[in-house]
Order: sequence, then structure tokens, then C-alpha cells
Amino acid sequence: MSETPGDGVAAPPTPETTSDGEELAADLRSALKAGAAAEAPPDVLAGFQKKLRERSGGKFYEDGWSTSRHPPINTYLITSLMMLAILGVIYALLAPLSGEPVPVENTPQPVQIISPAP
Amino acid sequence: MEPEDKEEARFIARLASRDERAFNELVVLYQERVFRILLRMLGRRDEAEDMAQEVFVQVFKAVGTFRGDSKLSTWIYRIAVNLCKNRVKYLKRRRTEAQDEYEALAERSPMTSGSGVTSGDIHRPDQMVEGMQLERVVQLCIVELEPDFREVLILRDVEDLSYEELCEVTGLPDGTVKSRLHRARAMLKQAVERKMGEKAK
Repeated sequence: MSETPGDGVAAPPTPETTSDGEELAADLRSALKAGAAAEAPPDVLAGFQKKLRERSGGKFYEDGWSTSRHPPINTYLITSLMMLAILGVIYALLAPLSGEPVPVENTPQPVQIISPAP
Repeated sequence: MEPEDKEEARFIARLASRDERAFNELVVLYQERVFRILLRMLGRRDEAEDMAQEVFVQVFKAVGTFRGDSKLSTWIYRIAVNLCKNRVKYLKRRRTEAQDEYEALAERSPMTSGSGVTSGDIHRPDQMVEGMQLERVVQLCIVELEPDFREVLILRDVEDLSYEELCEVTGLPDGTVKSRLHRARAMLKQAVERKMGEKAK
């Protein structure tokens, strides 16, 4: 690591021994503490796992769906069967199981024509 | 070997064997501190978040080369600081290029293109500072420090690292670290006073 120009090894009076340096450090900490709540860390773990999963081609943090080279057949099979079963239930609820349509009263009522008064 | 060291050695062995659960524990353990350091160094939350993830990816890649000469935490901070310095350089270069492009565009643009912009739209620095809290002013002044000075100031005064750890993270001798810290504090103090003075005016 390169040193910044002007950094002398012959250091000025150790800042830690001077109360000035400590005071400033304390002020700095208290000033920054106020904004600490806004600095709540994000979910680094999820991002880290995603990056690693993508870069390793699914070798690490494999989720079995997005990056796996050999998708688990059983998962797909079970999901497909479950979807078919759900579709069957929905059909049974919406359509009659007997197969015969329910008769609907559909005879037109006689219409009485009233001739207009002369 | 102390029991604590033994435990850390066991944990490092798990990491070296690429144990995913060990990495989950590591991220949960260090994410807050790493994120905070990066946020102070970069001054931007989105950048800090992305860089924090990158730090742990680098740890994952390089943990096999960790010899245990320093504490694991110190080694992680070192990775974070180095990545961060590279990022700062990259962002600075990009900003300069963007600024050049902007200036070139401004030179090419006719004078009439500025119509519709009122003086009320332009924020003067003193107006911008007026609404800021002390924390924001300090944060701004830290970000304006040169990266080498910013680094020691954040690690020592904000994150409370010992001088020994500071030397390990920066790779600098003790005298240089102390001198750099002294100058960083002086620069920060001056910058904050200047900004607060502007605010008072």
C-alpha cells in the first residue's frame, strides 16, 4: 500500500495522548450516532448468496430452480401433479359431475297484445 | 491456544471447506460493521450495499489463503478497505469523465437551451448546507477527505479499531498511521468548522 505524500514516519505528537484528539473522536462518534438508525444494514446475506450462486453456476447456494444444471425431476413432477389436482377440484366445483346439464326453464310466456285505443 | 482462538480456528476451517452455513454465520456476524465502514467510505448507500456483498464474495474466494496471521475480522476489514479504495478510484474516474462529457455538452449547447431555468432552481452551497443536520455535515466532510485519510479516520474514530488492527488493515507502519490520523482529524475539524460557519452565515 502506498503512502500518502507528506506522511512522515516522524509523527507529530501522538494524537491519542492529546485530549484534543480523543475529544474530536468522541464528538465524531456522537455526531454520527444520530444517523445510525438510518444506516440499518440491508440484507447483505441474500445478495451475497445470489451473487455466489450466479458466479458459481449454481454450485453454491443452489436453489434447485434458477441456476441448477440438472433440475430435480421429482420437484417438477410433484408440482405438475399438484397443479392438475387443483384444476380438477376447480372443474368439479364449477361444472356438474354427472355430466348431464341441469334443465333450464326456457318456455316463452304468451304475449298479450293490447291494441291502442281509437 | 486460547479457547476463543480455537473456536475461531474451527470456524475458519469450516469456511475453508466452503461450508455454506458457516458463510451465512459470517455474513450475519460482520455485515453491519462492514456495511457501516463502506457507507462512510463511499457515502452512498446503494454502492455500500453492493460493495458489502462483494466483500463477502471475495472472502469466500480467498478464505483458503488466509493463514491466520491476523484476526479474521481484521482480514475482512482489510478486504473491505482495499475493495473500497479501488471503487472510490473508479467512481472518481467515472465522475471526471462524466464531468468532461457534461462540459463538452454545455459548450456545444446554444445559450437559449437554458431558458426556463430560474435562479430559484439553482441551489447555492450555503442553502444546501442550511437544511443539513450536524451528522450530515460530518458525513459530507468525511466523504470529501482523501481516501487514505478517510480510511484511518473511519477505522479508528468511528469503528474503534485498535492501532495494531489499524496497522494490519492498512498495511502501514505505526508512525505513519498515527501521523495520518492526526492530519485526518485536523482536516475534518477544519472542514466541519468551515461548513458550519457557512451554515451560520
